[in-house]
Amino acid sequence: MMDKYNYAFLDEGSKREIRRSVLKAVAIPGYQVPFGSRELPIGRGWGTGGIQLTLSLIGPEDTLKVIDQGSDESVNAVNIKKFVKMCTGVPCTTRTQEATIIQTRHRIPEVPMTNGQILVLQVPLPEPLRIVEPQEAVTKKMHAESDYAPIWLQLYESLIKYGKVTISAEYPCLVEDRYIMNPSPIPKFDNSKLHDAECLYLFGAGREKKIYAIPPHTKVVSLAFDDVPFEKESFRGKKCRLCGSTDTYLDEIFDSATGERYYQCSDTSYCKEVRSK
Amino acid sequence: MKQLHTFDEVFDSQKVFRHLLEAMANPGRRCDIRSQSEKLFGDDPDMLAVAMTLLDAGVSFCAPQNPALTEQIVLLTHAKSVPLEQADYVFLSAQDQLPGMLASAKRGTLENPHTSATLIVKVPEGQAGEQVLLSGPGVDGLAAAVVPSDVKQAVALRDRQDYEYPQGIDFIFLLPESELLCIPRLVRMEEC
Repeated sequence: MMDKYNYAFLDEGSKREIRRSVLKAVAIPGYQVPFGSRELPIGRGWGTGGIQLTLSLIGPEDTLKVIDQGSDESVNAVNIKKFVKMCTGVPCTTRTQEATIIQTRHRIPEVPMTNGQILVLQVPLPEPLRIVEPQEAVTKKMHAESDYAPIWLQLYESLIKYGKVTISAEYPCLVEDRYIMNPSPIPKFDNSKLHDAECLYLFGAGREKKIYAIPPHTKVVSLAFDDVPFEKESFRGKKCRLCGSTDTYLDEIFDSATGERYYQCSDTSYCKEVRSK
Repeated sequence: MKQLHTFDEVFDSQKVFRHLLEAMANPGRRCDIRSQSEKLFGDDPDMLAVAMTLLDAGVSFCAPQNPALTEQIVLLTHAKSVPLEQADYVFLSAQDQLPGMLASAKRGTLENPHTSATLIVKVPEGQAGEQVLLSGPGVDGLAAAVVPSDVKQAVALRDRQDYEYPQGIDFIFLLPESELLCIPRLVRMEEC
């Protein structure tokens, strides 16, 4: 462990401010709490919100797992793991069941998480209304007044134009019948895992300086019309080429030499576990 | 030089925060902070442990009718002691102060509900436990819990304020035996 910096890199004042924001975020599920996002030795937009949350949460008794698009071995995940390990000395794992804190980008693990675990999601654009309204002051007011007509209109337009809602990731959801929230760029496939979960979800947007949360057993409903229900990605007829799973989120891999398409689990540690059984 | 306390600002704060987070995310659950708060001296070590974890010069607090605690918090955290109406954190040692406090404490605004006050309430020893039903985010359906009567009364008083959500006040109760119990603004408590 590197001892030239404070434990977990951030100074205690920064951690305290983030911790205060986290508690408020948990008390008001889905509401984006502003916080003073700190400089880190990594550019904003590369997971700094998630890293700041992880660094403010972590202690010597924790075990960390970091994934990027479901993979434990991608560049972003490996480097974040190295950085946190260097400044805390905590053990890292690839097994979802062993981790107390899991930092992730773009996926929720396939293995159901338990009550003692915290999933930290890196969020590029926390504001679900940004696509319909560019001004922060206006979106704040829209949230205050529950004025969500424009986002419903956007879904409706998509439906009219393409015959279905074409949002694949960052699919907006309604939290506790009050706040529309951006679940970060997880695929629609993972949206259902947010509802009535056992674990705590924390979302950190470093560049946009926002923290929000979904506590366990919170009502999270993906936006849908009464006559057009929410649909997640379907992998009917496809299975992972490595472990044979048919109920997981699959990545499509295209071999340009042969023109073949393969499918394999996006959650690499789950896939390995299935194969080892 | 005599050291006032042995509470570690880095590691003990982290542990108290994780207990606070667990309690806030799972309303009704009791989380033990004794091994951290016993490193602090004075009449209110549990309150000081929470103050050391959350407060600094960036926020304000009020500890009505408790000059000793006010002095200790200012000394240890450098947080600003302000009138109740402006306080981000309110430390309450006596339940009879609660009705007035709830009426005056910050409830946040519809645009910025996070600017509301957090009430840290000390529950005295020797209270009978009352069976209640909890519901809301963090609670699995309708869950039975046993809470001291002060907690039940405090939540009932808060409900009478009729805050328009997302405005509201979050409670952190400090039970005897150095346990934390949180009731955030969306959680409802009913008679069993």
